[in-house]
Amino acid sequence: MAALVRLSSVCHRGVSPLLFRSSSLIRPLAIQKKDHDCLYLISAKIHATPSNYASSGSKAASLHWTGERILSIALLGMVPAAYYIPGPAVDYSLAAALTLHGHWGLGQVLTDYVHGDFKIKMANAGLFVLSTVTFAGLCYFNYHDVGICKAVALLWSK
Amino acid sequence: MFASTSLTISSVAFRNCRTLVLVRYAQTAAAPAPEPKIKKFQIYRWDPDTSGDKPRMQTYEVNLNTCGPMVLDALIKIKNEMDPTLTFRRSCREGICGSCAMNINGGNTLACLNKIDTNTSKVTKIYPLPHMYVVKDLVPDMSNFYAQYKSIEPYLKKKDESKQGKEQYLQTIEDREKLDGLYECILCACCSTSCPSYWWNGDKYLGPAVLMQAYRWMIDSRDDFTEERLSKLQDPFSLYRCHTIMNCTKTCPKGLNPGKAIAEIKKMMASYKEKRSSAV
Repeated sequence: MAALVRLSSVCHRGVSPLLFRSSSLIRPLAIQKKDHDCLYLISAKIHATPSNYASSGSKAASLHWTGERILSIALLGMVPAAYYIPGPAVDYSLAAALTLHGHWGLGQVLTDYVHGDFKIKMANAGLFVLSTVTFAGLCYFNYHDVGICKAVALLWSK
Repeated sequence: MFASTSLTISSVAFRNCRTLVLVRYAQTAAAPAPEPKIKKFQIYRWDPDTSGDKPRMQTYEVNLNTCGPMVLDALIKIKNEMDPTLTFRRSCREGICGSCAMNINGGNTLACLNKIDTNTSKVTKIYPLPHMYVVKDLVPDMSNFYAQYKSIEPYLKKKDESKQGKEQYLQTIEDREKLDGLYECILCACCSTSCPSYWWNGDKYLGPAVLMQAYRWMIDSRDDFTEERLSKLQDPFSLYRCHTIMNCTKTCPKGLNPGKAIAEIKKMMASYKEKRSSAV
């Protein structure tokens, strides 16, 4: 840290620091080194921007986190519920909870790995379509077929 | 000590000392010359000043009999005796400054706290901290890390500054104990640079080291800005890129637990009240 501060002070003093009034006094090595330090600091500044998303005043991020936790716990409860009291109520809540769980989980993956404004928008749109289709499909299955609880139970029946 | 009190005693002591030295000399002379224990070190090398230089691994052979026990000792020995161009940061050589953080045999650690593996059939590989911009050889560019640390305002902040400098801000013993395991962090960046989330989103995610210090100031009983500090993390990146991978806790050379600190922040984020300033 101290070294950085010292480097930056060297750079801020620029080409005419007190010690090097006359340019003929500067040793070639010193020039080279100074130039290099400055370049390095400039390049350092480019990727030294800390996130300034903050202080939006909304609690959206922490509410999202809380939502994820609540949903996870609810899903844990739905597994025994599906076993003991299978029925349309559990079927539809499972459809909703599983879809949302997958939607949020994949959303985290996209936020992690997809960089760039346009790309992340496209990815999120794609995810939204995927989740909608999933939810619609599960609801269709619940309505026109045996339902999620029964379908899972059938896996063991044979 | 003896010399200052009595001359006779001092001469006796001196003679004793000399016999002792002689005896030890005889012992060492009698011992056979030990087999040289040659250990290979493969070290990441890259010099930006040589145009067109590509990163490469360079192997050095060090005789462990004439080298200190730690990896840093070996690095210093290589730099002193074999290759003065080898570049790395070091300062305190006792794990308190955090300068010599690097990746040794696949794990981020401090070279000064890492014992050389004495198994000479294995090569010790040394890289700079992973996924950092390299300045030269083992020296990473820490500017982003320091800028992030600065962004969390790592100092005591008071709403009422009228009492500033008048007297100490006292803490109960219990409140002080909450800071144990947090204040010891030396900001070596071993944890942050071991975190995959920090690798992919290091520009926006603060990383375990900085978040642990953010937590340190949040729970300080003397600090008045807990809510503001928390609300500064209200975005998808600063804090919530942590996925509890726990590489941070596993790698910390000081035995601290940044993963737990981040979990505590997440809990506080879910429960903190709106800004106290609006209530006052």
